[in-house]
Amino acid sequence: MNRTTLIRVAAGLSVAAALAYTLVAAGTTDSLKPGKAQLSSAGALAFGPDGVLFVGDNIGGQVVALDTNDTTAPKGTIKIDVQGVDVKIAALVGVAPDQIQINDLKVNPVSKNVYLSASRGKGPDAMPLIAKVSASGDVSLLSLDNIKHASVSLSDAPKADASARQNPRMQTITDMNYVNGNLMVAGLSNEEWSSALRSIPFPFKNAQEGATLQIWHSSHGRYETQSPVRTFVPYTIQGQQYVLAAYTCTPLVKIPVSELKPGAKVKGETIADLGSGNQPLDMIPYKKDGHDFILVANTSLGVLKLKADSLESYKPIDSPTVVDVAGVPYDTLKDLKNVQHLAQLDTMSAVLLIGKPGSGPPFNPGPAVGPINIQTIALP
Amino acid sequence: MRRLSLTAIAVLLTGMAAVADSVSIQLEAGAFRVTGWSPPRSEPAKGWSSVFAVYAGAGDVPPLLGRYTVESGSLIFHLQFPFAAGVHYRAVFHPAGGGTPIEKTFEGPPRDLTPTARVEQIFPSGDVLPSNQLRLYIYFSAPMSRGEAAARIHFLDDKGKELPGVLLPGEELWDPNYRRLTMTFDPGRIKRGLTSNEAMGPPITEGKRFTLTIDRDWNDARGVRMTEGFRRNFRGGPSIRKSPDPKQWRVTTPKPGTTEALALEFPVAMNYPLLQRMIKVTDARGNVGGTISVDKAETEWRFTPQEPWKTGDYKLLIDKGLEDGAGNSIEQPFDIDVFDHVTEHITSKTVTLPFAVR
Repeated sequence: MNRTTLIRVAAGLSVAAALAYTLVAAGTTDSLKPGKAQLSSAGALAFGPDGVLFVGDNIGGQVVALDTNDTTAPKGTIKIDVQGVDVKIAALVGVAPDQIQINDLKVNPVSKNVYLSASRGKGPDAMPLIAKVSASGDVSLLSLDNIKHASVSLSDAPKADASARQNPRMQTITDMNYVNGNLMVAGLSNEEWSSALRSIPFPFKNAQEGATLQIWHSSHGRYETQSPVRTFVPYTIQGQQYVLAAYTCTPLVKIPVSELKPGAKVKGETIADLGSGNQPLDMIPYKKDGHDFILVANTSLGVLKLKADSLESYKPIDSPTVVDVAGVPYDTLKDLKNVQHLAQLDTMSAVLLIGKPGSGPPFNPGPAVGPINIQTIALP
Repeated sequence: MRRLSLTAIAVLLTGMAAVADSVSIQLEAGAFRVTGWSPPRSEPAKGWSSVFAVYAGAGDVPPLLGRYTVESGSLIFHLQFPFAAGVHYRAVFHPAGGGTPIEKTFEGPPRDLTPTARVEQIFPSGDVLPSNQLRLYIYFSAPMSRGEAAARIHFLDDKGKELPGVLLPGEELWDPNYRRLTMTFDPGRIKRGLTSNEAMGPPITEGKRFTLTIDRDWNDARGVRMTEGFRRNFRGGPSIRKSPDPKQWRVTTPKPGTTEALALEFPVAMNYPLLQRMIKVTDARGNVGGTISVDKAETEWRFTPQEPWKTGDYKLLIDKGLEDGAGNSIEQPFDIDVFDHVTEHITSKTVTLPFAVR
């Protein structure tokens, strides 16, 4: 083998290596660029593929995708129990625990580590935090200074006053889910009532906003209203992909994904009405012993376990009922109190974020106060 | 041999004590500095935090996040997050080879406890609210703290008894400056046909008097209470279930050559923040510059141009998303009787009201 041959072989190997690299790097994190992630706030969270964490930034009017670089599956069964996670975060960032607000909780579906979005402070200067909680109970912060990331803007409102420092209108992202290559984002405005569900292809392209559509649902009988979606999950019924969406006060609505087309007004079908004076917080659909269930955490009603077998068989709620509650039957899990968030850990268990009731009146205690704990439970 | 060893240990102990005596921890230029001790050339295997760490919390908590530098023979810890008022900082140095840790505490910057914030205004500003009023906007004079609305906002009946379930629980929608809070009246009691509407009635009963109070104890963004509380009396009025119709609005046109305000009067109170941005004045060249004011309990919108009006034709361009106080937009009422186009596309976004300046 002469020198020329050696060089050719080396060149060939380099090409092969480059090809292999391209194949690996063409994953979803390839669209994310390293650098400082500019987050003004950290609200709703959702996991995408390959450890990508989507962060809803209400003040920044954007969604930021972060590469957590956390894609190692755990060995064995995971259980995460941390007392005073707010106290630990406060200690890391140097404030009193009551200055930490935890906004959302999600489980990395690959590594099973828990991720929290939080803020350091309670006013406009509050700093966004993304905390990671491992199975060993270690609490660390995701560094946002040098992280692979990408963002998509959700701002669509003109400034009321060009001289104003900031647009007073703000979209609050209530929930996000990654479904079949799209990030679905539910939001509501602090000005107009009309609300939208956006479907944003990921990887993000040219900061486009994605398809916006309006979701309607029937109330009982004659009237139909548009409402902000508080929390939603992808759900399959008889092979058809749906979104199950929970609204304020508290209809549970199923919407076929096939109808979620750009610019459409879509009517969802109300399959359960869980009662008034309440807001749904999080939902987990799961199977146990051959039956389908959905856990729903609520502000006022606690954690409900919906019996979700044969959801297709429930007729839309179309007549006033004597009691508040109608449609799909459920049990209230009385042992689970003050649950602020819940997320599925694996097929057998869920992670809860639990605090103490806030200082408001019993019918509206307000945000939980610390110490705030993370607890793993077996799916009931 | 044994004697020698003991002597060596004694010397070592004496040496450590000498180190401990001379080590001091200082807070200089915003960083924690260990002096009187020579750090090794490279970071210890367990990290600098095994030698020197700063804590903000009490009990078994992790140390503060930050980074270490070695400058002029001193180990320095720089906080990742800024110093916070009212926080005690506990800096702990562990002498090499064990021994009693050296601790020193520092106080964060003093807290300014002078109250400055107050409620500046609330919308709707009228004395009578429709029984299906949808939103309440509270304007504060300074940035406020999140998470207090549930405990600080109260609706009282005419006997002073607190009314439960008036506002939607668990929802605080702030502007980015935390000076305007949007609260929503419980839509489950507003939407017709829902059982809570039928069983409990609307949050505001027509014909009844009630009082909105906001506690002085609401903390501003610094954690300091307000200068005063807030109190306003209202009366419940009839519900409004129709879309606002621009054809019914009265336009008072200004005289040419003046900067008199163009006035638009509505039969019902409109949504105050939306009036700030959803109505534009245009002429043949595009948008006309000017300032907007809202008056008469949100039933009057006034536009004062920057330049005097010229004789000619103008248009008011009105966003169909403009809502009245009960959440009915020009495009659609808050809840509608019949919705026969289940899937339809959103069409024109504006309506036009022409007017002439003569």
